[in-house]
Amino acid sequence: MKLIRYHNSPLYNPASSYTGLRDEMDRLFDVAFPALSSLQRDGFFGDWQGEFPIDLYQEKDAFIVRAELPGFRKEDLSLEVADGILTVTGHQKTETKADKKDKKADVATQERRVSRSITLPEHLKLDKIEAAYENGVLTVTLPKSEEVKPRQIAIDVK
Amino acid sequence: MNLLTKTTPEASTPTAPRRAVRPWYEVRETEEAFILTAFLPGVDRSSLETSVDGENLTVFGRRVFTPPEGWTPVYREIPQADYRLVFELDNRINREAVKAELTQGVLTLTLPKAEAVKPRRIEIKG
Repeated sequence: MKLIRYHNSPLYNPASSYTGLRDEMDRLFDVAFPALSSLQRDGFFGDWQGEFPIDLYQEKDAFIVRAELPGFRKEDLSLEVADGILTVTGHQKTETKADKKDKKADVATQERRVSRSITLPEHLKLDKIEAAYENGVLTVTLPKSEEVKPRQIAIDVK
Repeated sequence: MNLLTKTTPEASTPTAPRRAVRPWYEVRETEEAFILTAFLPGVDRSSLETSVDGENLTVFGRRVFTPPEGWTPVYREIPQADYRLVFELDNRINREAVKAELTQGVLTLTLPKAEAVKPRRIEIKG
């Protein structure tokens, strides 16, 4: 018999994740009432900032995270694993050169920064994590490590 | 009636009908053109249809990803929906010259202004 570890969803664990409960509540509301959240914020890149949906799948040998992050360059995306938390960050700076005709106009800089942290399940091969970016979707493959084998500890009787 | 003719062809398509949502988008105006940017993550070139039909400009994008066998969803946020965006074009746009570009899930549509509406200088003779 195998005991299944109580792990409802390793991803959605607001209390223990760094993103915090409030962020998760905000996101929940944004998902439930998208019209409302777009009313709150102005600006075009603005209403998109910070929010991107994530899916988590489980496979025989791995967990797979998919994140929709449209319009980034590969070098603008970064992944970090620390203390069992995976952080996905996208940071993009676009400089639109003003029209040559209109010399007065400044160089417009548009900045976009998004970030999200996910609590990872246990027993992963952290050095074997792979990521790919295609069609604006980031796919992170997190291979599972072999189940921790029960260890026998010999007791020396003296 | 109008509504009926619009919904029927979609409902009768052989592929499973899926919910279509309006993607995030913005429209900018330059001297030469209107530029539409839409976020369509998960859509590749083959699954994107951009068409100008009479008055309407329609963008339809299908999220191509389907989880391979053996993948169990643990947690899902990405909507299982396609993208649809419909705009009504007026005579300010040169419909013949609409250009589309898709990079990493971002669609950029360039809708050039018709010659008739571009600012024009009129020379006075005599």
